[in-house]
Amino acid sequence: MANEAEETVRKLSLHKGVVGVIVVNGEGIPIKTTLDNHVSVQYAGLMSALVDKAKAVVRDLDPSNDLTFLRIRSMKSEVMVAPDKDFILIVVQSPTD
Amino acid sequence: MLKAMIKRALKKDDETVLITKTLLRLEQKDTSTKSRGNLVEDEALDWLKPRALIRPDDQEDVPEADLEEEVGRILTTINPQWVADEVAYHYGQGRFVTKAKPTYGKAYPLYIYQGTAIRKDSDEAKAQVAAGYGMVGFDDAGPKRAKVKKSAAEEEEEEEPEPENVPAEEAKPEEDVQDEEKPKEVIEEQEILKPEAIDEEAAADEGVEETTPEEKEEAEAQVEEKIEIKPRVKKLANQFNFCERAALTYNFPRRSVDTQTIPPPRANYGATVLQCIIFDYYQEDYAKKQREKEEEKPKRLRKKAAKHAKSAQQIHDEQLAQRIREAWTILERLVNQNIYDDIAQDYRYWDDPSDEFREGMGSLLPLWKFQFEPMRNHAVCDVQWNPHYQDLFAVAYGSLDFTQQQKQGCLCLYSIKNPAYPEYSVITDSPIICLDVFKETPYLICVGRYDGNVCVYNAQLTLESSYQYKSDSVRDKHSNIVWEIRWGARLIDGEASFFSISGDGRVVQWAVMPGELQATTIITLHSSVPPIPGPDGTLITVNSCGSCICFHPEKPDIFMVGTEDGMIHTCSLKYNRNYVRSVQGHHMPVYRIHYNYFNNSIYASCSGDWRVKIWEDGRDEPLFMFELGSPVGDVKWAPYSSTVFAACTADGKVYVYDLNVNKYRPICVQAVVSKKTKKLTRIDFNPRLPVVVCGDTKGTCHVVKLSPNLRVMCKPPKKAQGIDQRSLQIMKLDKLLSLVRDPPFQTGVVDEKFDDD
Repeated sequence: MANEAEETVRKLSLHKGVVGVIVVNGEGIPIKTTLDNHVSVQYAGLMSALVDKAKAVVRDLDPSNDLTFLRIRSMKSEVMVAPDKDFILIVVQSPTD
Repeated sequence: MLKAMIKRALKKDDETVLITKTLLRLEQKDTSTKSRGNLVEDEALDWLKPRALIRPDDQEDVPEADLEEEVGRILTTINPQWVADEVAYHYGQGRFVTKAKPTYGKAYPLYIYQGTAIRKDSDEAKAQVAAGYGMVGFDDAGPKRAKVKKSAAEEEEEEEPEPENVPAEEAKPEEDVQDEEKPKEVIEEQEILKPEAIDEEAAADEGVEETTPEEKEEAEAQVEEKIEIKPRVKKLANQFNFCERAALTYNFPRRSVDTQTIPPPRANYGATVLQCIIFDYYQEDYAKKQREKEEEKPKRLRKKAAKHAKSAQQIHDEQLAQRIREAWTILERLVNQNIYDDIAQDYRYWDDPSDEFREGMGSLLPLWKFQFEPMRNHAVCDVQWNPHYQDLFAVAYGSLDFTQQQKQGCLCLYSIKNPAYPEYSVITDSPIICLDVFKETPYLICVGRYDGNVCVYNAQLTLESSYQYKSDSVRDKHSNIVWEIRWGARLIDGEASFFSISGDGRVVQWAVMPGELQATTIITLHSSVPPIPGPDGTLITVNSCGSCICFHPEKPDIFMVGTEDGMIHTCSLKYNRNYVRSVQGHHMPVYRIHYNYFNNSIYASCSGDWRVKIWEDGRDEPLFMFELGSPVGDVKWAPYSSTVFAACTADGKVYVYDLNVNKYRPICVQAVVSKKTKKLTRIDFNPRLPVVVCGDTKGTCHVVKLSPNLRVMCKPPKKAQGIDQRSLQIMKLDKLLSLVRDPPFQTGVVDEKFDDD
């Protein structure tokens, strides 16, 4: 499993335009990252707050529904977030060309 | 209700006026009390007015005039139900007797209760008062008197008259008499009992009211008075001689007792309650209850279940791993979507606009290139779209360079959603030469390997467990390369089965049994070459090497086999010695035979002798022959058109023919790869999308889109607009064939032989 995760992170970070991949555990602590430490911590902290809020929005509209993915398009990059109750996967991608 | 009561109460004729007046007033009151029904009349509440009257369907239609008609109602004092002379059968006399009318008119006593009260102004009362009984205190009047009566054990007497009252109907006259008599009796009794009662009361009072000596004295005084002094009239409180009696009790002094305790520990708690949190707790609670229910089951059953169940931790870990895997997959697809956004748009929506100006010529638009890094030096030996998922295709990585054979092979499943990395990949210890996806369960893939083994892979299983079934390497594997493998029909017992053809000249059927593959040799391809003497002089029969196999689309026991010496044999599962038919199709190995999707007697073959031939069953000469100038690796009919087929050649070109448009030249020739370094090996049409995948010898799969000219559909003729596309395609091909067939069509050998069974 650990090997597989390692491999996946490597694989994803090799894609074109991918700036960084961060794996955050259930407590909101980045456990695996390809970015600088402080940037990852910042991402992890902000994203887990956003994910909680987004999840609350989705769940409150319909309790049997759930948030599955989050894509944040910004001027400079796109942040893709896969939230789960036990982990959060964050991929930051800059637009190509 | 009230009206009825009034009517009943006031019966006399001279009171009719009063009744009508009262009724009138009541009616007025009725209208003034507003219920929802008569709100309609109120103009201020106009908005509440119902839109229309709802009538039941079966309501009788009454003309307006009839509705308007006033029907007068008359109130009389005469009871129409009243029977003047009622007759009843008298059992005692044995004849019918006229019932006597009750004297009190038409009232009908249902129950008569003899009260103990008497009217003050009645004669008895006056008599009693005169006798001094009116002096008795109110307290003693009612209840005490009754009590005395009972204690005097004269209840029997009292009860006796009662049963006589019950059969009221028949005994009315007597009853009246009794009624008059009874009160007198009672009064007499009372008169007799009164003094005793008073004595007893006094005694009781003494017993009870010890605490109130004043009252006692009073009572005593009264008793004495009653006995001795002539009574004087006492003012009564009311005409029934009732009075309340009360007693004052001691009030206990109040006192309060309190104790100081140590306050319980407290903590402040705050949380936001959201709808979802409440929902979750309910779900949790429900799950818990279910679990408790489960635990109530007898232990024996539970143990059984526990044996199979994994521990909670294990399940959690597995689920977590699966969730992470899925999350990664989708993230990867998101990343890819960003990277290949333009291609994804092209693939769906862009059609080459220049096609409109090129009559009968088309082009291929390159979309994605799929490559798997470890398989850079391998050749794509087979490629096939998944029959179920339109965006998924399977690739077999092996090697066609037999002087420098690779040690490993690979089976990959690519999705066009993720061009960067295969969805599923499994490295094998021998190069994979061919594969086939099971149509019924599209995650089962059988592969044929370079070392002669066949395997079945289950793409649903995790990568660690590589294959699900593998042929026994010692007992029944092929002794040469497995060149083509095809799933067949299910066996009688319901097991899936597949067929493989190998360079050792055998066609083997593999039944997928639980846990193993069972091999049955269907046919051994014998060669026409005479037996040659071996090194020690024994004669060795030479098998011809099979190179491809193709099943008839409708008859599951007919199949065609191509060999390395260019023969095309038609075989049957029922005959394992002879060929049904043999044609010298090519001069070099036949690489592919493929049946047309619309006509079961038309098939295409391609070979290393640079040629693609179109055949009809039962005909020794091909209908069409095309020379492509290079070994042709693969030929496939298009699933959407009966006359379109595509071939790929070793010089890296894809040829697309539409026989309906041009019988001699391809309508599209396009170099997909550079011919210096790469060769194209296999090609496959997507069953639903207008894309083609072709594999090259450097491990790359190219997905190209067919331009509109390459996928021209039939337009229905004006006369018959309703014909569906399939029959149009069949008609198109038939029309074309009738032009091409030189000698008139004769029933093919296959048909002759097998139409009977």
